[in-house]
Amino acid sequence: MLQIQNLHASVEDKTILNGVNLTINPGEVHAIMGPNGSGKSTLASILAGRDGYDITEGSATYLGEDLLEMDPEVRAAKGLFLAFQYPVEIPGVSNTYFLRAAVNAVRKQRGESDMDAMEFMKFIREKIKILDLDPSLLNRSVNEGFSGGEKKRNEIFQMAALEPKMCILDETDSGLDIDALKVVSDGVNALRSPERGFLVITHYQRLLNYIVPDFVHVLVDGRIVRSGDKTLAYELEEKGYGWIEESLAGAK
Amino acid sequence: MLITEKPHSLVSNFEAVRELLGLTGPESLRAVREAALAKFAEAGIPTTRDEEFKYLPLNRFRETEYVPAYGATLSEDDLKALPLSVLDGPCLTIVNGEFAPELSNVSGLPNGVRVMALSEALEQHEGLVMRHLGKIATHEGKLGTTNDERFTHLNTAYMAEGVYVFVAKGVMVEPTIHLRFITQADHGAIAVHPRVVIELEEGAAAKIVESYHGLGGESFTNVVHEIALGANANLEYVKSQTEGGSTIHIANQYVDQKSGSVFTSNQVAFGAAISRTDLNVFVDGEHTETSLNGAYLGQGEQIIDNHTRIDHAKPNCHSFEVYKGILDDRSVGVFNGKIFVYEDAQKTDAKQTNQALLLSANATINTKPQLEIFADDVKCTHGATVGQIREDALFYLRSRGIPEMDARGLLVYAFAAEVLEKISIDVVREALEAELYRRLNRD
Repeated sequence: MLQIQNLHASVEDKTILNGVNLTINPGEVHAIMGPNGSGKSTLASILAGRDGYDITEGSATYLGEDLLEMDPEVRAAKGLFLAFQYPVEIPGVSNTYFLRAAVNAVRKQRGESDMDAMEFMKFIREKIKILDLDPSLLNRSVNEGFSGGEKKRNEIFQMAALEPKMCILDETDSGLDIDALKVVSDGVNALRSPERGFLVITHYQRLLNYIVPDFVHVLVDGRIVRSGDKTLAYELEEKGYGWIEESLAGAK
Repeated sequence: MLITEKPHSLVSNFEAVRELLGLTGPESLRAVREAALAKFAEAGIPTTRDEEFKYLPLNRFRETEYVPAYGATLSEDDLKALPLSVLDGPCLTIVNGEFAPELSNVSGLPNGVRVMALSEALEQHEGLVMRHLGKIATHEGKLGTTNDERFTHLNTAYMAEGVYVFVAKGVMVEPTIHLRFITQADHGAIAVHPRVVIELEEGAAAKIVESYHGLGGESFTNVVHEIALGANANLEYVKSQTEGGSTIHIANQYVDQKSGSVFTSNQVAFGAAISRTDLNVFVDGEHTETSLNGAYLGQGEQIIDNHTRIDHAKPNCHSFEVYKGILDDRSVGVFNGKIFVYEDAQKTDAKQTNQALLLSANATINTKPQLEIFADDVKCTHGATVGQIREDALFYLRSRGIPEMDARGLLVYAFAAEVLEKISIDVVREALEAELYRRLNRD
């Protein structure tokens, strides 16, 4: 579904990604772990289409098409979803209005008709239960005045509403207490299916106790330096990122 | 060489209506009108060399020959399509400066509430009206002398008709009171000078919505408000200004707040050719709250000028002010926010924000916060930003599948809608949101 090949990217002449290779098939959950500054969030942003990065080498293909050529809204319409590390507050736009515009934009791409207000409210009330979100948040402005936990749950709620094929979670666990972490993880796990791929980006192994990955990759200095199954995450948790960095230095 | 300039029609028209005006109100008003006319005649039409009109080119005035206005015959059908026509409560309508009883219905108001034409009020309740008429609309004796009140004087010169609203002590008015001001200049360029007097006695509460509409032609609306809020009174005031076309709108609004009173002003301007509002609040009691919210949209070559002034004359008062404008095409926005904190007004907490969104390279905003603080234990902040659309918000919307054009539209709308959200009257807020949306999409 998603093939990233030898991806190099830089910001203002500073190289961030240094040859990333990664293939995600439908139904698979991949985790990317790495120390701060390793390029994890940059990778997520580039996949979602944020401006400001120079792709200097390599490619990313999504559903057989060149992902990097697509506008962000086209990526979303084709089923790619990024749960933001820092969800954006948009005063003046109600959550409901925003979600309905998003859901209908994505449906349009799929050749489906718009949902009317009644249909949409029914659809959304079912989805909101899964995330244990207060329905009154629907009437508030997008993310405005939401707590950290509410913002993250709102991201997963949007993901549930848009029913994407490829989900990218950028440090969704940061700033969450253990109860919120569980709710968010349950929401993600409810969406796991044989048709859907996940890329879970995190600094800590903790999240992966709840969202159990099929593959774990370690990103250091803009490259995946080690891949394995979930046991790699435990090893990292125990020995720290220093262990990987040292073993890399030793190999040189 | 002596050049004698012909007096401007705004002055010379007085001759034709002097006797007619004299029929309204007490005898003493005659001299008041004459004196005010003389003050305006002396000051003349302002130029951009006058500090308070620096960004407001009023050449249009010089080129226009105004004739005295008389009413127009309109029916409810003519008004159906106007924004805020959805309001179905008590409504009083002024057409071309004259009271239009056939378009007014103020029945069903509780005892102790009067909503009536000013001329009628002067006949029936002269004592009550004269408590405030001409008393609030002045900055004489207040701190600073920076206000330019020539258009207030012009209004006073022609003062006879308008609206009077009175809410007696302790009365809470449930229905929203709607005041409509309509111009239809079908007999030449007209100038109208409505005067609005609003008094909420101690502990009274009301919601008043004013809407200004232009039904064509060249009109000049020069309105003056005198609003007296007694102790612990609560007024939510909404002004919707939508005359458009080649009209000129000038409003001088004066509010006097006694202790414990709450004044919330929501000013929404969709413009005229030139629109200018001076909103002046004099805080004359402790523990008051003043919220001045403003949202405006300039399109074409519109000029939208908002001046606000808050006089914090007493301690322990809060004022909160936010004005947001969207300026497109070649439109010009002006914001001037004065806050005076008097020596006695310790523990004043005043916050002022004004933001503008420029959608075109040819649009302009001139913004000037002006804080003068004479007390030492106060919290006063002000901030002004001029910007384009937030890129992070744009990416967020696009990443959810919303096409770039739609996302931009949504963010522009949201920029001003954030202010409209502060209107507590649902039907009014929704109507103004719809109007904003419609105008942004140029429907």
